[in-house]
Amino acid sequence: MSHEPMHRIIRLKRYEQPREGYFDDFLMEFHKRQRAELLRPSIGELLMDRIHAILSEIRVPAMAYAGAAAVAVVASVVILHQPGTTGQPRAYAASYSQPPVTVPSMQPVSLRVEPPTSDRFDSLFPPSYLLRPRAANHESPLSF
Amino acid sequence: MTPETENQPNNDMELVARTQGGDPTAFDELVVKYSPRLYGLVYHMTSNHEDTNDLLQDIFSKAYRSIANFRGNSSFYTWMHSIAVNMTINFLKKRNRRQHPSLNDPDSRIENDPDFIAATSNGDPTKEVGIHELQKKLNTAMMKLSHDHRMAVTMFDIQGIPHAEIAKILKVSEGTVRSRLFYAHRQLQNSLHEFKKN
Repeated sequence: MSHEPMHRIIRLKRYEQPREGYFDDFLMEFHKRQRAELLRPSIGELLMDRIHAILSEIRVPAMAYAGAAAVAVVASVVILHQPGTTGQPRAYAASYSQPPVTVPSMQPVSLRVEPPTSDRFDSLFPPSYLLRPRAANHESPLSF
Repeated sequence: MTPETENQPNNDMELVARTQGGDPTAFDELVVKYSPRLYGLVYHMTSNHEDTNDLLQDIFSKAYRSIANFRGNSSFYTWMHSIAVNMTINFLKKRNRRQHPSLNDPDSRIENDPDFIAATSNGDPTKEVGIHELQKKLNTAMMKLSHDHRMAVTMFDIQGIPHAEIAKILKVSEGTVRSRLFYAHRQLQNSLHEFKKN
């Protein structure tokens, strides 16, 4: 597909030109803008100005500090001289009217294992260290 | 490189060096030299003279601020065009749908251009199309193209920049440039079907 005809038609747009003398004026305008840029504060300067403006708006007057200190002194005096305070510390210790609990003397405990004496118990649980299969018995073996 | 696009590159480098050395008149010479061709690039992308003027001022301001960092890895011509392309594309993305064409009147020399005569008469004097009608149709067709395709058409078809140079400016391969031109031309043919038989 040849695009040559389209190329020739589109090329006609090159005749669209700005008015005569435009490019001379363009250079003068460029100089003007450059001078304006030099006079224009930078972003950093604008930011600092803005921060200063905000701080000046929220600045606390010098007398406010003295006022706050006076309020604090008055409040502390009022709290210390509240009625009902005798200056003595309150006793919060618990008192026990009951006699103290005494622990009876401990009996020594023997760790020796006494062998069972019941024959029935022996028949139920013969001494063995092997697990043996046994028929299921739902009756409690400890109900004598 | 063609004489049209890369004339006197050494002279450019000398002017750049002088600008970097603190001589503002050297940059003025670069502005005088590059403003007409960059104007064409921006104008055919925006279709608005006022936008082009503002954007071109911003482009040269940006170039002036950045010229200290120009190391000469590419030609000044390529570097300058790359700035213009990036800023124009960014501008168009922000402008989005807001389009108010403000077109320059075509130079009177267009009437003697054989391509214009062929395109407007179409071999049939009764179907003659006026200059402004043709301009309007061309503009409408161009504005239907995507930014990338329009940029390729602007640089190649209107400004006559070779494929290799366009590839360097856009930082794409030559194949990509040719592909964009192919699809753009096909789309333009559909939009301007009454002219395609010429």
